[in-house]
Amino acid sequence: MTWSLVLGIVSGTIMYGAPLLYATLGEVVGQRAGMVNLGLEGILLVGASVGLAASVVTGSPWAGIAAAGIAGCLFNLVYAFLVVSRKANQLASGLALMFLGTGLSAMIGKAYIGRGITGLARYQVPGISSLPGITRTMFSYDLLVYLAAPVAVVVWWLIFRTRWGLGLRAVGESPSAAFAAGRRVSWAEYQAAMFCGLMSGIAGAHLSVALARTWTEGMTGGRGFIAVALVIFSKWHPLRAIVGALVFGGAVTVGLQLQASGSTISPFVLNMIPYVLTLGILLIWGGARRLVAPAALGRVYFGEE
Amino acid sequence: MRLRAAVLVAMLGAVALLAVAGGAIAAQQPSLVIGLLLPGPKNDAGYNQSFYDAVQEVKANIPGVQLIVAEYVADAEAESTMETMIQQGAKMILPCGFNFQYPALAVAEKHSDVVFMHPGGWEVRGNFSNYYATTQLDMYLMGVAAGMMTKTNKLGFIVGMPQGYMLGDCNAFHLGARAVNPKVETHLVFTFSWGDTTKEAAAAQALLDQGCDVITQHLDSPIAVIQTVEAAGAYTIGFMSLDSQKYAPKGWITGLGLTWGAYLTQSAQAVIDGTWHTGFVRQGLAGGFTQIAPFGSAVPDRVKQFILALATGYKAGLIDTFIGPVKDQAGVVRIAAGEVWGNDKMGDFDWLVEGIVGTPQ
Repeated sequence: MTWSLVLGIVSGTIMYGAPLLYATLGEVVGQRAGMVNLGLEGILLVGASVGLAASVVTGSPWAGIAAAGIAGCLFNLVYAFLVVSRKANQLASGLALMFLGTGLSAMIGKAYIGRGITGLARYQVPGISSLPGITRTMFSYDLLVYLAAPVAVVVWWLIFRTRWGLGLRAVGESPSAAFAAGRRVSWAEYQAAMFCGLMSGIAGAHLSVALARTWTEGMTGGRGFIAVALVIFSKWHPLRAIVGALVFGGAVTVGLQLQASGSTISPFVLNMIPYVLTLGILLIWGGARRLVAPAALGRVYFGEE
Repeated sequence: MRLRAAVLVAMLGAVALLAVAGGAIAAQQPSLVIGLLLPGPKNDAGYNQSFYDAVQEVKANIPGVQLIVAEYVADAEAESTMETMIQQGAKMILPCGFNFQYPALAVAEKHSDVVFMHPGGWEVRGNFSNYYATTQLDMYLMGVAAGMMTKTNKLGFIVGMPQGYMLGDCNAFHLGARAVNPKVETHLVFTFSWGDTTKEAAAAQALLDQGCDVITQHLDSPIAVIQTVEAAGAYTIGFMSLDSQKYAPKGWITGLGLTWGAYLTQSAQAVIDGTWHTGFVRQGLAGGFTQIAPFGSAVPDRVKQFILALATGYKAGLIDTFIGPVKDQAGVVRIAAGEVWGNDKMGDFDWLVEGIVGTPQ
């Protein structure tokens, strides 16, 4: 392991962990309100296609990110309407949202295939260029990467230090108790779903507008499902989600950086790292997760008759 | 009842539309209907676009040619898509996906009056021919350009999957670069995906982080890679579609375009004239299957002239790429002195030339 390889891995881990973190934070809030949303992949795709389309149309990548956030928010209202108002099964609704998002994003993105954009400007971490072995492209991030960890702290504060967060958690633990305490259960669930959509929309746009700078069908490559797994990994805690996103961001980067620096490990083996890691984490965490999961997670609240 | 009425109206409308469309087709009497099947989008600035641009050229060259284009054809749908095209009168089918070879062969056996032309495969029948470009030779020229332009002596090559033809492209690229720059290394990265653009960008990022300053690729669509390289201020060598230059206004060196227009025009005319015959065709620069893209503004004149002179030598058959002795990464002689690795063995590479940084399996 050479020094430049280590630097490359750390640098890439932070960059490719950021979109995973945004999506995971959205899902943490949703699940804290008792809603498992397997449709995250669909929201990411809608965010990615809307983000690129709006960037091309307006010429501003930030307008693209904003449009993607709003689109994700609105799109997840479909899920919220199904599970909150129509009392539908959460897993089935999530999968329906995923398929709907795949098709919708293909339709939105169709006219923008092959369109390049400049993307978000990147700034190298100040003062780091004086360290030995740093190349120009390392630790050079767009603002969304810099903001990812602070946003996680804000989400933590919202969930654990505000009355809004208390209500949210109460709904996720026991909707009937929250109702008895005077909370409006479905309104809290709608808010959580909108926040989840907003975050996931931004995460998708980060992929298309900042990282790949292009749209292709199905370009999220399963990151929505990884984010759902990361919620379990992080035990529904926004700050632990930072660690989880870094671990998975790193898992992809490690393989590519090792190849680029001339490792003799078979690339086939390197490509398996993320999947082996997922299995390993499920093995270690599998037993303990019941203790920390919101008690009413995945259950439909039929209200008080 | 209202629903049923709506369905009825929709059906009537559809029938009317079909009748009008059918009438329009009959009125035009196309000279030839060509069915094109693409695995991806027609404007990917890469593999798919090279074929789409080619059939547009055919249409412009021969009056009365009608095109039926299907994008995003999945392997499992290839056969039914071809059958539908034939029902609509297609007499020439271009199944332009590597995996469409056997589905196309199955359809070809049922329709002996329809001509099939598959790119990049190996099967040949009476009405089923095979053609592709000798990119494994021509990438040598791209390597020469990269070897002359690099300042760090590190070149990057991103490939979707470790397959023989792609290893051959990388080998040729490195041999060219090494011929003009003995200190050069080519760093090879596999993404193991076709279409995870974020991962492709991450692969480019990894190569840039490790100091590579000229990057090329063999992917379906090069856009993510080229833009990542361009944003970092490094150089790009394009591959497949000549159209990818627009993504690198500053860092573009040159590129190898797949240009099928002339060959497919000639083939389509032969189908119309009834003189078409099958074959296993491999051509490069001389046959017009590949073309050197225009040079970017960063390229000095001496580099341009050198590449163009080499290209002339290639076209005249004076130069070849894989001439022994060529050693692999372990130092073992794979092509003995005086021997040439023939055109028929381009898919057989399971080794990489000495000086390439990467693991082939």
